[in-house]
Amino acid sequence: MVNRVESGDGRRDDPPSKPESLRSTEGKSVRKGEPWVFATGGTLILMITLVFGVIVLLLLNGLGFFWPSDLQQVEQKDGTISLGIEWGEEEIPGADGGTRTQYRVGNPKEFPADFVWIDDDQVASITRPDDALLVETLTWSPRIGRFAEARRDGEVVLRSTDADWFDRYDELVEEAEEERIHGKLAPDVDEASLIGHYLLSDGQEIEIPLAAVVRTVRPNSMGTLAKAGVYVSRVWEFLAAQPRESNTAGGVFPAILGTVLMVLIMTLAVVPLGVVGALYLNEYAKQGPLVRLVRLAVSNLAGVPSIVFGMFGLAFFIHIVGSGIDSVFFADEPGAVFGTGGLLWASLTLALLTVPVVIISTEEALRATPRAQREGALALGATKWQSIRTVILPASLPGILTGVILAIARGAGEVAPLMLTGVMKLAPSPLIDGTAPYLHADRKFMHLGFHIYDLAFQSPNIEASKPIVYATALLLLVLVVALNLTAILFRNHVRRRLMGGVF
Amino acid sequence: MRFTFSLAAAALFAGAAFAADDVKKIPKYQPTGEKLRGTLDSVGSDTMNNLMTYWAEGFAKHYPDVQVQIEGKGSSTAPPALIEGVSEFGPMSRTMKNEELDEFEKRYGYKPTRLRTCLDALAVFVNKDNPIESLSLDQVDAIFSKTRNRGMNSVETWGDLGMRGDFASAKISLFGRNSASGTYGFFKSNALKKGDYKDEVKEQPGSAGVVQGVSKDRFAVGYSGIGYKTSDVRAVPLASKTGKTAYEANLENVVNEDYPLGRFLNLYVNKAPGKPMDPMIREFLKFVFSREGQEVVVKAGYLPLPSEVCLEELQKLRS
Repeated sequence: MVNRVESGDGRRDDPPSKPESLRSTEGKSVRKGEPWVFATGGTLILMITLVFGVIVLLLLNGLGFFWPSDLQQVEQKDGTISLGIEWGEEEIPGADGGTRTQYRVGNPKEFPADFVWIDDDQVASITRPDDALLVETLTWSPRIGRFAEARRDGEVVLRSTDADWFDRYDELVEEAEEERIHGKLAPDVDEASLIGHYLLSDGQEIEIPLAAVVRTVRPNSMGTLAKAGVYVSRVWEFLAAQPRESNTAGGVFPAILGTVLMVLIMTLAVVPLGVVGALYLNEYAKQGPLVRLVRLAVSNLAGVPSIVFGMFGLAFFIHIVGSGIDSVFFADEPGAVFGTGGLLWASLTLALLTVPVVIISTEEALRATPRAQREGALALGATKWQSIRTVILPASLPGILTGVILAIARGAGEVAPLMLTGVMKLAPSPLIDGTAPYLHADRKFMHLGFHIYDLAFQSPNIEASKPIVYATALLLLVLVVALNLTAILFRNHVRRRLMGGVF
Repeated sequence: MRFTFSLAAAALFAGAAFAADDVKKIPKYQPTGEKLRGTLDSVGSDTMNNLMTYWAEGFAKHYPDVQVQIEGKGSSTAPPALIEGVSEFGPMSRTMKNEELDEFEKRYGYKPTRLRTCLDALAVFVNKDNPIESLSLDQVDAIFSKTRNRGMNSVETWGDLGMRGDFASAKISLFGRNSASGTYGFFKSNALKKGDYKDEVKEQPGSAGVVQGVSKDRFAVGYSGIGYKTSDVRAVPLASKTGKTAYEANLENVVNEDYPLGRFLNLYVNKAPGKPMDPMIREFLKFVFSREGQEVVVKAGYLPLPSEVCLEELQKLRS
């Protein structure tokens, strides 16, 4: 405001009592409001920097993780040999100084720790042996070592000394996929016929059923193109696969699906609720203290902490409505069906949380409908409802959609209320499947936001899951932008059509 | 001190010569051949969250149509869920309190069945660059508690524990769990003798959060299950009293009752006495107490049950 009034010819707007103070101490630039322009511009730059900072941080940490890094063989002065991926480095605090490097040595079943720190002044040599392998497995992943041989029912079928063994190894792994139990689970060593033998860096030999192998990477002898192939296949696995190893490996597909479905159901619930509420408030209700009070309540509702909505959802939807449905319709089921957290209750809770946003922006859009159009409709003999349906609502549709966009942005990032209304660390029942009613809104679900929280605070292998946390955060961001973009494109489409209709 | 009694029994059975091979004595899981289908819910301890997930993943191998849903927000969430009937399993990293048992009995007329699923060592973690050799529980109490029921003077800096160099004047930064957690309760009653935590303890919503806090801060100390150890932190050997020998937080020392903060991780179930269990629940529990079930315990960072205890728990399913 200050800007607009004082820029240009500021003097004309100066109130008569003030010019002395303005003229005497401060220069012309202050009177013109230039410091304010700088301040607002500076704040904008700061905010853009912060937003991009977060995005760059997520991109660097989240996307780099899928790239197959080189395997380094570190020989220490005392003769210990480790083979692993360089994970990080830091200065050793204290007087001596020096640095140390963290390696992921893998083999969680055989080695005491997945990660080790090695002081750099203890290192005798670092090499990148061509034959070093990173084997991602369904359980106890990753294995880092060298290939020794492969056996079928005890007979050696492939040795590491054979020519082009790597290609034939890949064929064997592909063939072994048939041995997976129910097509997805790793058999035990004594149940499988195709077994791979590997040598670890400390000299011990281990056996892995080839059916358990997800992917074998030989990063030190791969070209950039081959690495890019591995990168794509890892990203695809992250997006499309089920989580494994207590969510520290595999993909996040159920969480993506849960997030998207929740936002969709929420939108379906919040739009009618918000629009009808706003219509009544703006078109039918007699404007007076009561309506003002209701408006005040709606605006305040937007400021209520989300965890309070979560508690309301738990108490009302789950304990009252859900248990009620159960006692009437599912009395002979042993467990609770609707009387426990689920996708439907979580979506409805979020719909309540976002309804003020929709009401407020719908009301604004209704108020912005030109008076001439309203009166024109009435003058043509339309009833109130007819004029709302045919004139006012279509004209305010873009404004309503703006409210929906804001609601999606708020709802998709909300996690706290979900923790009380049905989100899960692992929800193995698919939300969509082939049995009626196909979409199972009563089931518990996974959510990307909760997945981030769970991995960051409760993961059994926090060092390994840290990059997954970044990748998941990036994915959630992309998903929210994508959902919003869809709504924005739809709004623009509607707007263009409206314009065409008017002129 | 129910824990000490049962552990004494466990140690007696297992004997001093505890061997990792013991788990091989536990029979492998035998599927019933029935076609089981349905959903099982587990609500409770977040320490056991990963454990339950590993069991669920293993169980799915035999019964792909049984879905196990796992929710872990703290041991205190287990009893209400069991009582309300919204969950079949109540994993708890502590035992149920008397009020919780009474509440359950009021609803069902019998007590819930407690099954000991594996052993855990509650570790006191320091940063990997902290050279401290060992701590006694008295010192731990003096570090974490404001009431100090073990009677020592309050410890504020690492210098108060006799450390030198830049540690001498450094204030100890405290990390702990939130109060819904069984780890919080177990540490409070066993290390602090039911005393109160200092207000400065930074309460974390998960065990991995505690470890993260300690790995970023050289002067920090925190407690959580040994399963969450990383290469950035070190578990300090603990002695039960000042002047006694300190023992590493490894799992042999837990079975032999030398390490003072050993505990069972429990699974509570609603089992009416004399009535057969729902086959899905029964088979899941049989899987937990099978060789496969006990082997994955290691993956979550815990110790399998001594084979005799395992068979004892299996017996409970039949009665």
